[in-house]
Amino acid sequence: MDKRNTETEKYWQALKEVMDPEFPISVVDMGLIYHIEKVDEELHVTMTYTAVSCACMEWIEQDIRDRLLKEKGVRDVHIHVVWDPPWTVDRISPEGREKLKYWGVSST
Amino acid sequence: MDQATLLKEKVQNGFIVEGIDDMNEEYLNALKQTLTIVGDTELLSVPPLLTVYDQAPTLNSKITALAIMQDEIGHAHIAYRLLKDLGEDVDRLLYEREAHRWKNPYAFDFELSNWIEFGVFNAFFDRAGYTLLGDAFEHTSYGPWKRALVKVDKEELFHLRNGEIIMRTAMQDPNLREEVQKAVDWMFLMALEFFGVEDRLKSRSAQLEYRLKGRTNDELRQKWLSTAVPFCESIGVKVPAHYDEEQQKYVLDVPFPCKFDPVNKKWLFDQPDTWDNVIKRFKQRGPKNKEFVERIQRGAKELEQLRKEAV
Repeated sequence: MDKRNTETEKYWQALKEVMDPEFPISVVDMGLIYHIEKVDEELHVTMTYTAVSCACMEWIEQDIRDRLLKEKGVRDVHIHVVWDPPWTVDRISPEGREKLKYWGVSST
Repeated sequence: MDQATLLKEKVQNGFIVEGIDDMNEEYLNALKQTLTIVGDTELLSVPPLLTVYDQAPTLNSKITALAIMQDEIGHAHIAYRLLKDLGEDVDRLLYEREAHRWKNPYAFDFELSNWIEFGVFNAFFDRAGYTLLGDAFEHTSYGPWKRALVKVDKEELFHLRNGEIIMRTAMQDPNLREEVQKAVDWMFLMALEFFGVEDRLKSRSAQLEYRLKGRTNDELRQKWLSTAVPFCESIGVKVPAHYDEEQQKYVLDVPFPCKFDPVNKKWLFDQPDTWDNVIKRFKQRGPKNKEFVERIQRGAKELEQLRKEAV
């Protein structure tokens, strides 16, 4: 997981602009993105959510799709939602942790 | 220096009030009044949202709608809990108060007509809530409220973004564009009314003097306009306001305040109104006020009835 390479690194960076609907933390820093792969001009994003009952799945996916389609050479985006491995707070990045701390939210 | 002047000076200099011992009577009353408006507004936002809940287009949007209503009830709970700590009898406030004495905005005394209105409700009214409560978080002198608002403001932001998504998506569908415009046409001025009487008509405000909030009504209205107008313009919805370069502020293109036809949910732009009349309209309440408050109180009353029968 999280296998980043020089080819997909820019897409990880792009997704740092896609924010969680409540907190100003990106989907990358929340640890929702598991894998990004480019096949020809199509991106395959493997991701998860913090909960199966997440109320914002459709809009987060739309935000991800919209952002990635702005990248040069990306014609389509396929999102694959997986529940294994399950998300835990351990997946939040140090940057994300700092932001949550600022907002008074525990991330441990 | 008298006690009131001293307290006002202290809070203006950043003093944080933590309990009743730090307050005077006037502060306590202004705070209770403010929290009652906040609690009532949060709680009474749910009945109108529920009127179109079953029209959610997908299961995930239904879950979103539920999450939003749950948040609102949670926010109401926070406000009432703070009131309880200030000595209010919250059960009485909730279950024995007559419908017309609730302090929620007039805009919440209406049924919604469709799912699009759910979106505009979120995008406009939750934005108004976010504007008002964001200001309170930034400026309020009442410590317990300030701390509670961290969570509230983040959730309101989620609601207003949900509203924007519903509106933006609907604008891409030729069949729904008109519905968005229709909803905006009545809800835009309704949202502006949330901020209350114009500054020039207000002699003084205990809320400002005691720093329960930081910005004036007109300043808050401008803040709302500064994000709502550009958003609407960006998705192609027409709004009756624009930014005036000369005055360096947003100005309205229609009379405000204005008379409103509650049956057809339409502003009567040929009939400008006064704030005195608007306050009268607020006090007369909208068409669903009684029904919505009864809905909130029904369970408690039925349980009370059952208890009486059981004895």
